[in-house]
Amino acid sequence: MITKETLANYIRRALPDADVTVTDKTGMMDHFIVRVVSNQFKDKSLLDRNRLVYQALSEPMQDGRIHAAEIKTDVPNPS
Amino acid sequence: MAQSIADEVAEEIKKNKILIYGKGTKTQPQCGFTMETIQFFAKYGQPFEVINVLGNNEKREYLSKLTNWPTLPKVFIDGTFYGDTDILDEMERKGEVKPLLDAAFNQK
Repeated sequence: MITKETLANYIRRALPDADVTVTDKTGMMDHFIVRVVSNQFKDKSLLDRNRLVYQALSEPMQDGRIHAAEIKTDVPNPS
Repeated sequence: MAQSIADEVAEEIKKNKILIYGKGTKTQPQCGFTMETIQFFAKYGQPFEVINVLGNNEKREYLSKLTNWPTLPKVFIDGTFYGDTDILDEMERKGEVKPLLDAAFNQK
């Protein structure tokens, strides 16, 4: 189990500009939908974007606090 | 031995135009995401294979290193790695999946 805030902080540590939205899919605090919007995704493939997020979450995923994460990535729309 | 896993995987990827490494089997998926992936491809009506790696940590390790992708399921289409439904849903939204499958199955 992990709190949404702790999970989001892992991502912000790797992607400081990221806008992170975490939804607890089952209410068990271990299956999450994670939406990450960051400039660092620009001209990166979908696979590489998700790899960046997985790298940011590698610790809580390896120690089991996160069982599964559905990752949605996006770039901020040009203002 | 690592080598035999590498050969085994290489053969599986070559033999199956749509290949899902997941938890459980096609008829008894044991993970929501593996089931979602099966349902995803069932829509397209093309033949696909599910290879159960649940409990086979050596093979899972190998696959994670091969693809630089830590989770299951792992999808290969025509020998290329495409992640999972996080990626495929996005590709489908952009209409990229159908042409990809058509190409994979028309190249006899």
